[in-house]
Amino acid sequence: MNFPHRIRTIYFKELIDILRDRRTLIAMIVVPIVLYPLLMLGSVQAVSYQHESLEQEVLVIGVAAESHRIMLSQLIRLDAAALAREKARFDPEDDVVRDLPKPLDDAKIQVFDSIDHLQRAIRERQVPVGIVFNGNTLVDSIEQQVNVHVHADYEEPRGTTAGRRVEELLLRTNKRMQDARLNERQLPKSFLEPYTIESVDLSAPSSILGEILPLILILMTITGAIYPAIDLTAGERERGTLESLMACPVPVIDLIVGKFLVVTTVAILGAALNLGSVTATVYFGGFDKVIASTGGQVPIAKMLFILAALIPFAVLMSAIMIAVCSYARTFKEAQNYVTPVILAVLIPGGIAALPATRLEGMMLVMPVGNMVLLAKELLLGAAVGPWEVVMVLLSTSFYAGAAVAVAANIFGRESVVFADAGSLRGTFSRIMMKPSLRPSVSMSLLVTALLFPTWFFVQSAVSPATDESAVGLLYSTAWLMPLLFLVLPLVLLSYFKVDIANTLAMKMPQGWHMAAAVLIGLSAWVPAHEINVVQGSLLGMPPSVAQSAERLAEAIKLIPPSTAWLLLALLPAVCEEILFRGFLLSGLRASNGKWPAILASAAIFGVFHFFVFRFAVTAGLGVILGYLCWQSRSILPAMVAHALHNTLGVLSVIKPEWQRWIGLPNDPDASSQWAHLPLWLILVGSAVMLYGLYLASRPYYGTGVWGTEQGVRLKNPEP
Amino acid sequence: MFIPCVVDSRYNAPPMDMVIADRLAKVFPTPDGEEKRAVHELSFRVGKGQIYGLLGPNGAGKTTTLRMLSGLMAPTSGTASLAGFDVTTQPQDVKRVLGFLTANTGLYQRLSAGELLVYFARLHGMDSDTANARAEQLIAWLGIDDFSHLRCGALSTGQKQRVNIARALVADPPILVMDEPTLGLDVLSNRVILDFIKRERDEGKTIILSTHYLDEAESMCDKIGLLHDGRLVAEGDLDTLRVQTGEQRLSSIFLKTIRADSRRAEVGATGA
Repeated sequence: MNFPHRIRTIYFKELIDILRDRRTLIAMIVVPIVLYPLLMLGSVQAVSYQHESLEQEVLVIGVAAESHRIMLSQLIRLDAAALAREKARFDPEDDVVRDLPKPLDDAKIQVFDSIDHLQRAIRERQVPVGIVFNGNTLVDSIEQQVNVHVHADYEEPRGTTAGRRVEELLLRTNKRMQDARLNERQLPKSFLEPYTIESVDLSAPSSILGEILPLILILMTITGAIYPAIDLTAGERERGTLESLMACPVPVIDLIVGKFLVVTTVAILGAALNLGSVTATVYFGGFDKVIASTGGQVPIAKMLFILAALIPFAVLMSAIMIAVCSYARTFKEAQNYVTPVILAVLIPGGIAALPATRLEGMMLVMPVGNMVLLAKELLLGAAVGPWEVVMVLLSTSFYAGAAVAVAANIFGRESVVFADAGSLRGTFSRIMMKPSLRPSVSMSLLVTALLFPTWFFVQSAVSPATDESAVGLLYSTAWLMPLLFLVLPLVLLSYFKVDIANTLAMKMPQGWHMAAAVLIGLSAWVPAHEINVVQGSLLGMPPSVAQSAERLAEAIKLIPPSTAWLLLALLPAVCEEILFRGFLLSGLRASNGKWPAILASAAIFGVFHFFVFRFAVTAGLGVILGYLCWQSRSILPAMVAHALHNTLGVLSVIKPEWQRWIGLPNDPDASSQWAHLPLWLILVGSAVMLYGLYLASRPYYGTGVWGTEQGVRLKNPEP
Repeated sequence: MFIPCVVDSRYNAPPMDMVIADRLAKVFPTPDGEEKRAVHELSFRVGKGQIYGLLGPNGAGKTTTLRMLSGLMAPTSGTASLAGFDVTTQPQDVKRVLGFLTANTGLYQRLSAGELLVYFARLHGMDSDTANARAEQLIAWLGIDDFSHLRCGALSTGQKQRVNIARALVADPPILVMDEPTLGLDVLSNRVILDFIKRERDEGKTIILSTHYLDEAESMCDKIGLLHDGRLVAEGDLDTLRVQTGEQRLSSIFLKTIRADSRRAEVGATGA
């Protein structure tokens, strides 16, 4: 049975198994369908009931002197009379009448000995609101001004409502007296208010949805993934079925992928049910106005959008959960591991849910956080560019892939399968590690997955502000790139007892492969340039790409040519080849065929250059360099080709004349960079490159372990 | 009707000895960073159509040995091959020629016996029709008909062990590795399983059996290996062992050999 069939068999068995479990069904169906409507109906109704009853409540207002009681009751009487007059002007059936302010004529006034007593009574909630006048009579002339203090506990709903009702009474009174005074002097309203201020609220109609819903849904998706992840990994071990499963001729990675897909399915199903339940509750419960501040329409299209955004998140969470639970030998142990993981996930999720956080910079690649942000931005109606979406999806799939690889690595460990096979810590200790010829797939994938956000972060941290020169960027890359691409893999390899010379393919290549490298290095820029031109004319070039290219060119001119060559040609050629054609490709070649390994490493190489616009060219170069490395069993040809290719790029900036030497129109205007090359050059360049590829395709004559054809492990030293 | 896969194609140059263990050793790491030797330089061979009894007291290394033979555990050193396939470099091939059964192997509680058999048949690479046919065949053979539709969680211990045997046989493997297959079974279920093991042997299967019931071993095994402290302290058919020890019953042979070995170990320790 081949790979997809095996995974399909495992997938359907595990899906049936998990869906037959009552606990899964309760968590997945009963909770969302019953709990949500109950919770939402309950809490929303309670809030609105309380709100309404407070509005209708007979108001008790405290005062600190008898004279103040008289003043207040006069104010209330005057206001009630004025309101009655206003009301009389409208048809009683009119909607306007309903919205008119209510008079306070039924309010009770309670007199206290002193302001202190009054304030204590308010704090002890005997009365909700108190009024203190700074004077003993109401205002009756223009010269007179009375200061009024409204005392209330504004943190408490009853106090807030009562305080507001009293303040509105005073504001209405003020307004009427102002109008009367203006009328008397025949002055326009602008006399008092040269500027009138009105706030126009442009917040998205469904702001509550946008801010709270993603977090709730994320929690529910995680919850949906936990149980199946534990059941299908640690549960299998605990029930004693793992041993017979491992005795089947099925690779562990297939088992893990099958199980991971089931967990993802259940998590997405759970998220969909939750989302559906929320939508239905809002729709049928008549809560449109509570949830969405304006409009009052259930944004069903938006709900579908959120569901789509949840899928990559469910994928990532399932992968993480499977990886964490694979490490556990019992249900209980798994639950212990899961709790801190959820907390760790909620931190970036919480940061992302903060109102001020935007989808930019480091947040683009922050695990979990970027998904929450994407969902939030979409819901709030912010413009999200394709580059952001691609970045979020790419980094998320990176993390998910790495987590699945780690899970596959842990799941099959004998100390996990058999409780009596020594301690887990023991298996991970260095003494017990066997020397190996190259890193495992999970190790190389995990390292590149972690390097990806790190490199992105480092690049954006050292990238200069718009008005600075990019020279600083060049120098900081000079030590950051060797550190991350060279030192880090080397340290890991030596710690895990991996054969460095074999992993990094450090051996002398055959002559024709070196010749191939030189030819390819000298000619690859021709097709690369043409691809860029075609891509630019089809898709248009983003200004940011042109800008960064221009600034890089300026920076190169500012430093000595030899330094520029060192930093931009030699250094990337060595470091990037070590990481991508050394560390990564050798990890991938351990369990993949030639082309899957080369293509995957090339795609990752392309992604590491961060610009979608440059992806086609860098990934294409990655394929050629990977092919060179594979054919020659050596990293040197790839380094030489890479260095030559970059040298030509540096040269075109430092010595623009060289373009004229080969008959190119040399226009200082940057836009001409994106014109087609002369036909003869395209033909010559492609011919040279094809000949280089032909040379590269010649077979390798030698010995040694390379692809999947030979054993992975070193022979044990004979005793 | 089920047509078994062409058996010959699954042998990697079929050898006389279906199972060969050569200086097989396993070292476990312990939590305090020490090493624990579970199996020490174990070598033995099992011919086609033989039942090899791996006997020994608790902790002797029987289970670890069987797991290494099944490709479930990697040997720390030494090699083993099943039907010509190396357990370290060709674990997938080893798993294809092997049926693995232990007393405490669990079943999927929420699958019926029939579904479980079809699942394992599919995992062994059969297409859907073949898998169904094979499951039906095994269900009839092992008398599972009455409960094949029930979920495994609802079965009795004896019923479960029958389903487990069917699972181990699902790919009709030429080699069976059985780790205490009769542990905790009543006399009736015990009989069913032992009869079945004998019948498989008579059909030319190679069987490695580990058990604590010495009467069982006496009546069943063509060759016996006595394990103590991870080493093979005596090996041969019953007659050879009788001659070596001067005892008649296997239990007496067992006790005498183990005691002698313990004494030897003590003397060795003080002597050094």
